[in-house]
Amino acid sequence: MTRDIPDGYVGRPMLRREDGRLLQGRGRYVDDIRMPGVRHAAFVRSPHAHARIVSIDVRAALELAGVHAVVTGADLVGEVADAVVSPPIPGLVPTRFEVLPTRKIRFQGDLVACVIADDRYLAEEAAERVEVEYEILPAVTDMFVALADDAPKVDDRLASNRVVHRVHTHGRPDDQERDAAFVVETEFHQQRQSHVPLETRGCIASWDQGREHLTLVTGSQVPHPLRTQLVRRMGLRDGQVTVESPDVGGSFGQKIALYREELIICALARRLGTPIRWNEDRLENLQASCHAREQWCRTRIMADADGRILALTLDIVEDFGAYCFYPANYIAEVVGIILTGQYRVDHYRYDLTVALTNKCGVGPMRAPMAIASWVMDGTLDALARESGLDPIEIRRRNMLSAAQLPYDMPGGETLLDVNIDETMEAALEHIGHARLRADADTLHGCGICNVVESTTYGSRFYKNSGIGGSGHEAARIIVEPDGTVTGSVGLAASGHGYETAFAQVVGDGLGVSPDGVAIRLGHTDAAPYGMGSRGGRGGTAGGGALYECARMGQEHLLHIAAHMLGLNTARNLRMIDGRVEKLVDGAWRHAGVGIADIARLAYFDPLALPEGTRPGLEFYRTFDPPPMTFSNSTHACRVVIDRHTGQLTITDYVVVENCGAVINPLIVRGQQIGAVAMGISGTVLENMVYDAAGQNLSSTLGDYAIATACDIPMIRIHEKATPGSRTPLGLKGMAEGGVMGAIGAVANAVNDALAPLGVRASRLPLSPVYLHGLIHGHAISQH
Amino acid sequence: MKTRVTLTVNGQVHDVEIAPHYLLSDVLRDVVGLTATHVGCEQGVCGACTVLVDDRPARACLTFAIQMEGHEITTLEGLRDDPVTQALQQAFHERHALQCGFCTPGFLVTLSAWLKEATDPTPAAVRDLLTGNLCRCTGYQNIVEAVLSVAATECGR
Ligand code: FES
Ligand code: FES
Repeated sequence: MTRDIPDGYVGRPMLRREDGRLLQGRGRYVDDIRMPGVRHAAFVRSPHAHARIVSIDVRAALELAGVHAVVTGADLVGEVADAVVSPPIPGLVPTRFEVLPTRKIRFQGDLVACVIADDRYLAEEAAERVEVEYEILPAVTDMFVALADDAPKVDDRLASNRVVHRVHTHGRPDDQERDAAFVVETEFHQQRQSHVPLETRGCIASWDQGREHLTLVTGSQVPHPLRTQLVRRMGLRDGQVTVESPDVGGSFGQKIALYREELIICALARRLGTPIRWNEDRLENLQASCHAREQWCRTRIMADADGRILALTLDIVEDFGAYCFYPANYIAEVVGIILTGQYRVDHYRYDLTVALTNKCGVGPMRAPMAIASWVMDGTLDALARESGLDPIEIRRRNMLSAAQLPYDMPGGETLLDVNIDETMEAALEHIGHARLRADADTLHGCGICNVVESTTYGSRFYKNSGIGGSGHEAARIIVEPDGTVTGSVGLAASGHGYETAFAQVVGDGLGVSPDGVAIRLGHTDAAPYGMGSRGGRGGTAGGGALYECARMGQEHLLHIAAHMLGLNTARNLRMIDGRVEKLVDGAWRHAGVGIADIARLAYFDPLALPEGTRPGLEFYRTFDPPPMTFSNSTHACRVVIDRHTGQLTITDYVVVENCGAVINPLIVRGQQIGAVAMGISGTVLENMVYDAAGQNLSSTLGDYAIATACDIPMIRIHEKATPGSRTPLGLKGMAEGGVMGAIGAVANAVNDALAPLGVRASRLPLSPVYLHGLIHGHAISQH
Repeated sequence: MKTRVTLTVNGQVHDVEIAPHYLLSDVLRDVVGLTATHVGCEQGVCGACTVLVDDRPARACLTFAIQMEGHEITTLEGLRDDPVTQALQQAFHERHALQCGFCTPGFLVTLSAWLKEATDPTPAAVRDLLTGNLCRCTGYQNIVEAVLSVAATECGR
């Protein structure tokens, strides 16, 4: 399906309409919204990693004038239901937890009580006056220790800290070993990270006692699914709750779950009958919001003498922290599913283990499966080193060609619409073949990483993987009485540029200028129920739904136009920029009516409509994408390592990407660069560190370093796009592959540089201390 | 205990009643009612709260409002008619140098002051300056390009 409109708006680098307000500082983020009579919340949090709550004394806090309530877990029992995560997935242990712990806290920063006061300063002062007596328990902060039989139990209800053990086998991997010329085991250890949106979380909840209606204003990626969780936990009906997500200062996966803080604020707004506001501070955000990525992987690859893969196995162990806000298999599972990318692997197994620890809970972060490309291409590089074969040649020999697609991947999905064979060759051209020699001061390396990015997941994927839920998206388009257009879709923007891009989509689909199209998002009353913004689904699922909805709308508009023009069919009509055009002698000519004329009829003169046509011009359409869509890319970079300091410098960085047809290349380019930057930041800098007692040592942006302008090189991006074959407009989705490729390209380049020394970096971040230790043969602990 | 303080913000005098430990960032946003100044960390690292104090960039989250008596505070709202800021805003727009926009006011305020003094900014100098402002969305590349494009026309004027 490709569009048949000449000079359409889709594909143009239109400047963002969001920018005007944001550049003036007139955005409307949660904390910019003023509400009369609002009260402020602050949380009492645990200073310990694991402890029993013996007693809580709130008297001193309540004595302060202007403090209205101090609420503990016991106060909310029966008012708010537990979080239950128990999809029927074999090997996944069902878990549940209270909204506010009554007996035990599980990590430093865990919730103990909530204070409501006249202002934020006062609420914080009162929170400090709450006296809590703890019985400190031994904490477990290492996932491997957590999996031992005698480890302290994070969740007393469970038999152990092992919440997932799942194995997926394709073919007979173990039987291939006897034919293998090479068997290579390789380890990969990705450190704990966090999303760090520049805007932390926050919310305002208000309860309308008369209407019995709750309104939650909060930066959310998924307003409707959030509402679903909220009504379940609070015992309300869907129609009693409005979730509104205004401008959002970044999310990256951190603003998906219904966290306990927002839920408590909603419950207290209902109980106290006053609006309540909570703004997370950065300390809370880094200690207790959501972490990500802490995974250890080991691959075992069996190959013949030419480097052809006979079999591959993957073991993953993931640290999920103290609470499961998501099914604990889901992040590691996607790594297992897509690991093999565009390589042919006939015999395969992945084995997932997920452990609870006394650390902040984890969730998806931009490219939850980020480690996959590093693991796959890093494994091939290790095979190259072991066999003496050329690493690029090994990639080529195992690469599926276009003729071999679609290909049933051993992980269970069907791969198609990818061309890594082409992106890799192009990337090699761009990065150049020069081999720089190591000298007394520096080591040089070049790294290549091929990326298959799973972008949009349809309902079929969720069904197959047992996760449940839907992958569909929903669009509504209203042609207003004045002929302007309002489109909405169940996504929520946090820098994505949807207001601009989707106006282009609606413009083409309906046949109007994007200037006359307003896009409303992030509001459960304004948008139809959709699954929200996550992964790379926005453009494909949301854009696809809007496009199909708009096409349906155009058909209806032209049906009316034909009647107005006295024609008995709309076959030779089309709409461009709001004008109806008619095909006359092979040329399109303005027919003399436009969308405003049609709207006038539809709303104010319905008797003039064609027989059987109802008044009004509202269109609704859902779209369920194929089980999985794929984009692909090859990342290539060059690095220099200072032998004396271990300092790593990225001297060149190239991406060749195929993300299908794009709605707005300017926005897509911005997302690609941003994703690479986040990947580099995670590979070389970020590190969420806990000490053995479970104290978080990375609670400020000074300690948890994210990349500055000096840490990110100039990134050169080239396209080798092929359209998606099964989606409207040929869209495929993007914005996460950059993270995946950056990890792999930089880590592979570092290992190329280290190869002459016979050492290999297997842990992230690639900090100067770590690299220096590897270079000089004394492994210094990262922490 | 709250005290009366006179603040001059964007050329306007505000008599406000605040406690001594109130941060300038909170007072600007919650008392004066100017919300372009954003708070990203309250730890002095991210730069989202950058304002001008007597025309020099300062972190409003590291400043007590009570210290500001007798000083001129300028927020992004007060730079609306400043030609360098306007040129920056236009360049940010054209080069897609913002995504979520939360960091953007801090960048604009920092840069507006710097560009008035910088003579011939190089890409390295721009990146060096910008280390004081964090952006989690853009990867900085388009910001650097936007700044250089403005520098080409504004510097040395
Ligand atoms: S809020 Fe002031 S530096 Fe981050
Ligand atoms: S644009 Fe989002 S933090 Fe800079």
